[in-house]
Amino acid sequence: MKRDNNHLQPNPDPSSSLCGGSSPGKANLWEEEATQQDCGMDELLAVLGYKVKTSDMAEVAQKLEQLEEVMCNVQDDGISHLASETVHVNPSDLSTWLESMLSELNPPSFDPFGAAGKTAPMGTLDDPFLGGPAESSTLTTLEFENNNRKHQKRGQQIFEEASCSDYDLKAIPGKAIYSQNTRTQPQTHDSSSSSTLNNVKSEKRLKSTSGSHSDIFPPPPAVSYGIPTDSVRPVVLVDSQENGIRLVHALMACAEAVQQNNLNLAEVLVKQIGFLAISQAGAMRKVATYFAEALARRIYRLYPQNPLDHSLSDILHMHFYETCPYLKFAHFTANQAILEAFEGKKRVHVIDFSMNQGMQWPALMQALALRDGGPPAFRLTGIGPPSHDKSDHLQEVGWKLAQLAEKIHVEFEYRGFVANSLADLDASMLDLRPSEVEAVAVNSVFELHKLLARPGAIDKVFSVVKQMKPEIVTIVEQEANHNGPVFLDRFIESLHYYSTLFDSLEGSVSSRDKVMSEVYLGKQICNVVACEGVDRVERHESLTQWRNRFGFAGFSPVHLGSNAFKQASMLLALFNGGEGYGVEENNGCLMLGWHNRPLITTSAWTPANKTTATSTITN
Amino acid sequence: MARSNEVNLNECKMVVPLNTWVLISNFKLAYNLLRRPDGTFNRHLAEFLDRKVPANANPVDGVFSFDVLIDRGTSLLSRIYRPATAEEPQPNVAELEKPVTAEVVPVIIFFHGGSFAHSSANSAIYDTLCRRLVGLCKAVVLSVNYRRAPENRYPCAYDDGWTALKWVNSRPWLQSQKDSKVHIYLAGDSSGGNIVHHVALRAMESGTHVLGNILLNPMFGGQERTESEQRLDGKYFVTLRDRDWYWRAYLPEGEDRDHHACNPFGPNGRSLEGIKFPKSLVVVAGLDLIQDWQLAYVEGLKKADQEVKLLYMEQATIGFYLLPNNNHFHTVMDEISKFVGSDC
Repeated sequence: MKRDNNHLQPNPDPSSSLCGGSSPGKANLWEEEATQQDCGMDELLAVLGYKVKTSDMAEVAQKLEQLEEVMCNVQDDGISHLASETVHVNPSDLSTWLESMLSELNPPSFDPFGAAGKTAPMGTLDDPFLGGPAESSTLTTLEFENNNRKHQKRGQQIFEEASCSDYDLKAIPGKAIYSQNTRTQPQTHDSSSSSTLNNVKSEKRLKSTSGSHSDIFPPPPAVSYGIPTDSVRPVVLVDSQENGIRLVHALMACAEAVQQNNLNLAEVLVKQIGFLAISQAGAMRKVATYFAEALARRIYRLYPQNPLDHSLSDILHMHFYETCPYLKFAHFTANQAILEAFEGKKRVHVIDFSMNQGMQWPALMQALALRDGGPPAFRLTGIGPPSHDKSDHLQEVGWKLAQLAEKIHVEFEYRGFVANSLADLDASMLDLRPSEVEAVAVNSVFELHKLLARPGAIDKVFSVVKQMKPEIVTIVEQEANHNGPVFLDRFIESLHYYSTLFDSLEGSVSSRDKVMSEVYLGKQICNVVACEGVDRVERHESLTQWRNRFGFAGFSPVHLGSNAFKQASMLLALFNGGEGYGVEENNGCLMLGWHNRPLITTSAWTPANKTTATSTITN
Repeated sequence: MARSNEVNLNECKMVVPLNTWVLISNFKLAYNLLRRPDGTFNRHLAEFLDRKVPANANPVDGVFSFDVLIDRGTSLLSRIYRPATAEEPQPNVAELEKPVTAEVVPVIIFFHGGSFAHSSANSAIYDTLCRRLVGLCKAVVLSVNYRRAPENRYPCAYDDGWTALKWVNSRPWLQSQKDSKVHIYLAGDSSGGNIVHHVALRAMESGTHVLGNILLNPMFGGQERTESEQRLDGKYFVTLRDRDWYWRAYLPEGEDRDHHACNPFGPNGRSLEGIKFPKSLVVVAGLDLIQDWQLAYVEGLKKADQEVKLLYMEQATIGFYLLPNNNHFHTVMDEISKFVGSDC
């Protein structure tokens, strides 16, 4: 601890903040420099997770006093409202958080005729966190007030949660995603959806254009921007058995041999691993087997076929979706942010970089359909890799979603794009409409890291995304550093990461789902360990690294709040009672972890020069 | 009401540095939001607001940490903190449980505070505190992520503490070279201090040797309203009302505060006479409203002829040990270091 020293003055003067500034008479140049580097943040509080500028300390104290006073004067209803209705955002930024709570309890003025009539919230009475019927009538009254305040405030950071259920994205367990009806179902000519069929455009194939952009986007130097690798290495040991440890040691030894290019030794060791793995039970055996196979491929240069056949990949993806909460969490939290960003917009356009089978969108469409004031016109552009069998898989997905849209009376337009790489996209291909007319959200679940395999690709994509002028960009990525320059480091990181992930699958109810999920993850392991260069696409990076990339590229964070957190937590309870899984808030991003080890992170962004009600600029 | 609050707030601000005041006041107000009058707890909001830090196998200031799943059935996690050695400044991630090498290595089992309902082993305030203890005592620290109230009432926290103690005691890699035994200390603040006492009791009953107990502002109480409770109610961040709420949330339904968990030397308490209880270091903050109960605890130990050292920090409030910006902090850290170091 830099400041943890024993030479503080004996009688602290409480009226001045000791920390952040140097102790009088102890002009320590190094400490002062450090203070400046921290932008004047109180270092002691920073270590404890709170960002407060030393110069703001007195003001923050004042807000605390004010808040206490108000909380004492307001009745219990007011406090329960603050706890259950208010959406809290980024509690690390104490000053802003306190300010938001003060605003909640001290509305500037009340306009009873401002808001549109609200339908009674559904499900409110059933929500255990709102208490019984007696409380709900109180909440309804307060909601009404909130709705007005919202319209009066500019640039506010709290998203008024109008009612728990209107904007609730109910967790969609199991296969309640599509109806399985075929296209022969008679189409009713409803005016709101008659345009849907006509607008399901055929896919466009994009040629790989990696060469032609080099003059516009020259490849950056090998070490891009000096992006610092994350120095935090969270580890959870779930298996302290003797055999497990020997297996890990054997794997490490083999990876070391590979690192040192001692392939003869590596070959001997990889065979040993096979034997050791058999004696092991459960997740460790499977993980070891996948890693051993990947090592063997690397040693014998039997590189895996890339990319995977699409129909198999789809199946694996769906099983992974069912077995464990990771994809559902990703979709859920991203959708929550998109829904909030689309508030008040009449026409919206989602550009999905990770279309797959479109499993993310039914929930969003349903939430939009139930929206107060009616659904917006919803346009979806789905982007995906080409399929081997030349089937129009993106088209099929579009059809299914169109059918759903019709059922729920949402005006729907769809276009699918096939691209080898997201970097092949140009904004001009997307038929973007003026942002006053149509609000855009860009969504990417587990896709962005692939761009790091080619120089310049990520920059191209950041640039194109900015041209889309999105309200929000939702990103979900693996929370791990599997893209370091040293093979051995990547090996060790990914061994721990996938061990934790596999351990979380062990509690799965369906063993078939579990196996498929393991195969799905096994493909990733193989890619991380056995591939190199442009073939190594599973280049996962941590939140810290992504924050730097986005910041550098000119994006500001949009914070996810306590409502998204709570609903994501509740979603987890559907998986094995939620035991072991946990959601964590990290400076406006949400992380899903297993036994305290974060595994995936959802973050949201907006172009920095855009000032919208939904963006929050932080240092 | 507003006026007396004003007085309280000003008094409070006089005795602690401003950033400490901000920290603890923030907790106080946030916690007010979380406790519901019907006795339920807003766990989701609590978890959202709690500032957490991940474990870190890369040493920071000479200490690295990792989480261990001690009991799958109850999802009992603990965070282990170890010193990085000169020989191995960057520990091999495959060798986190490498045997300790010194003649004597104290192993401190730490129970975080939070009045049985708040915080976790990975809360930033406790991660920071545990890291300090490693350097201070040249110890391995294991912070137990015990189950919390009101979802898990008595005796869950004690059960988890006991499970952790058994686990620690049975790790070959934690045995000191001198006698191939694990040298165990129990430490905790607030509810954690209470847990220390009860886990030590169980240890004694089953013949497991614990070398010492460290109780920082331990959480005790009773039905009676003591003088300190009346005098200090609401004055220094804490109210009797919230104390009552937490006991109601932890104790079995229908039980009152003279339950032995809350009042170990009260009418339902258990005498420690004739029992070989570990030596205790008890730290009491002079501005803590429950100090009469804490002092009564010390008396109870003395009456039973148990070795106990009381550190009464006159001008200290709750949470003084969370930030190294006051004298009480340094005094107490020195005493802890001596307490743990004395069995070498």
